Amino acid sequence: MGTGDEEYDYLFKVVLIGDSGVGKSNLLARFTRNEFNLESKSTIGVEFATRSIKVNKKIIKAQIWDTAGQERYRAITSAYYRGAVGALLVYDIAKQLTYQNVERWLSELRDHADQNIVIMLVGNKSDLRHLRAVPADEATAFAEANNLSFIETSALDSTNVETAFENILTEIHRKVSARQMDSMDGDEIDKVCMKPIRIDATTANTNDSAAFQIKQFCCNASA
Amino acid sequence: MLELDIGKMGDHVQKYVNDNDMNLKNSFWKKNIRNLPGRASPKKESKSVSSSASTSFDDFQESVSDAWEIEAEDEILRMSEVKISKRVAHSAAVNVINNHKASIEEIHKSKNYSNSDPQGESSSQTYKESRHTENKVNFPNSEVDTNKLTKFQVLLESNLLNLEDLKKLSWSGVPVEVRPMTWRLLAGYLPTSTERRQEALDRKRIDYANLVKQYYDTDKDEAYKDTYRQIHIDIPRMSTPLFQQTTVQEMFERILFIWAIRHPASGYVQGMNDLVTPFYVIFLQEYLPIGTNIETLDVSSISKKNRDSLEADSFWCLSKFLDGIQDNYIFAQLGIQYKVNQLKELIQRIDGTLHGHLMKHGIDYLQFSFRWMNNLLTRELPLRCSIRLWDTYLAESDCFATFQLYVCAAFLLHWRQELLEKKDFQGLLIMLQNLQTQNWTDTDISLLVAEAYRLKFTFADAPNHLTTKR
Repeated sequence: MGTGDEEYDYLFKVVLIGDSGVGKSNLLARFTRNEFNLESKSTIGVEFATRSIKVNKKIIKAQIWDTAGQERYRAITSAYYRGAVGALLVYDIAKQLTYQNVERWLSELRDHADQNIVIMLVGNKSDLRHLRAVPADEATAFAEANNLSFIETSALDSTNVETAFENILTEIHRKVSARQMDSMDGDEIDKVCMKPIRIDATTANTNDSAAFQIKQFCCNASA
Repeated sequence: MLELDIGKMGDHVQKYVNDNDMNLKNSFWKKNIRNLPGRASPKKESKSVSSSASTSFDDFQESVSDAWEIEAEDEILRMSEVKISKRVAHSAAVNVINNHKASIEEIHKSKNYSNSDPQGESSSQTYKESRHTENKVNFPNSEVDTNKLTKFQVLLESNLLNLEDLKKLSWSGVPVEVRPMTWRLLAGYLPTSTERRQEALDRKRIDYANLVKQYYDTDKDEAYKDTYRQIHIDIPRMSTPLFQQTTVQEMFERILFIWAIRHPASGYVQGMNDLVTPFYVIFLQEYLPIGTNIETLDVSSISKKNRDSLEADSFWCLSKFLDGIQDNYIFAQLGIQYKVNQLKELIQRIDGTLHGHLMKHGIDYLQFSFRWMNNLLTRELPLRCSIRLWDTYLAESDCFATFQLYVCAAFLLHWRQELLEKKDFQGLLIMLQNLQTQNWTDTDISLLVAEAYRLKFTFADAPNHLTTKR
């Protein structure tokens, strides 16, 4: 895992966001290592993992950034939204409050992420049927109204975890390919990917790498 | 173990020779000792007697002596006087390290690590071996240890404690028997006067009980409910069987909740629970026979009175400890962002090759060192090693926030070779997030802090030291 010598056609940066304790880190562990840990420690700042999958005969390498859920970390974590082409916005189907906060996370994304970012709403812990606090239709309706895709997952019993990541990566691939088709000269993709990066005091030192990620993404996307 | 220390010292000297020529080295020590008396040296401050300018290197050497085994001093001195060649130093270091590795492996094989480990090993959950077993591995009843323990006991029992002496002695590690009292004193939780100590302890414990009544046992203010909710989410996520006990979790919740309420500028920040743990475990052991495996212990079997004392002591020591680093946890965590930048600048100056390598592959210091700073390396090290590291942090007292920067630098440089071998972004970042320290012992920490000390001594307040050279 994670040795970069494997070949790939696309490199997509995806972020995992949502309230503390909804299971972001376990979704990532399940997807990248097929692991689950009931007492996984709180994430401090951001953590990183990667996995490649095949979509439409193309190898897509997903660089996934798992972020801390606590509000105090927002200044740090929001820096990682830059250059991300996808976001999994996770809530806990057994905790109403984590669903209510989805709106706030969306506005975080609007403030800090690329406007073309593909967002998927993920209701995690679907194994906790008896404790369900958020009806699936309600989340479906909300997702439709906000132009998000939606899926319920369980990192614990693996339900839909693969599907969730596959779907979002496929959707990103579709968008990127469409954009490539639209403008064969590549101007469009430059516009999308190479937006100037705003530097502010709290995130100044993350910009080198954000720029790097984006550049890398562009090179690979046009390959 | 003794041999390793000498070898490592050789290694340090060698590294230094690589970076700077010998002339610079000689003049450097002198210059700094004269210009900056007592700076950056917990030992130095109390050594004013020997501050005559003539033997500045000796002063320095003496000032750091505790970072190595006592017997090593003569050897080190000899090695420093003779301008050892790189080759000799290197081969000596390699030999000694290999010997040491072999003997450590022996020890690891022969000592039975029989403590139950129900969840299996993983990089993040490696501190399940009993600390006592570990300490026996690290301190095989040597004379040095007995001597050191005696020195501590004499200090602790004197009518008026000389805190500087205690810091000096503690910097290189505190024997397990006297650690609880030493930590209380180093943290500034208890007075130096022996006769006032018990009275102060009793009073502080009552104070804490009152805080619990005032803030925790009553209906929680609406404003604090978010804080409580966050703590309540995080505490059950502490792995290891000890922390899965309801009694223990409730104690942690109270400690963190009350701390957060009393420090509104920062409040509770995820990861703080890891900072309670060393204090909690050390004070817990006071109520147990030496050798008890704390992982299998039922904490509710300890008397209520003792549990309350343990909780109060952990709370007050945590409070004192966090006082020095509060800016780490305020809005936007500016303290940490500042320190991460400092680390970056420092590595750039110390080791341009490594820095360039990280930059070339798009690694940002924030991506890996944020957690190092936020959790004071507790996530990167096994608990027994964090405890040893905190001996030094507490001995640094108010200055530990600065010192931690150099510990982080030394920690990064420790992995230099492996990092240089990784040739891509993900390989590097994944390695940096999962540094393999699970077999580390106190010796590794002693070397780490010694290296950190060297870096601090060399680079603190000398911003142009390397730039002028280049």
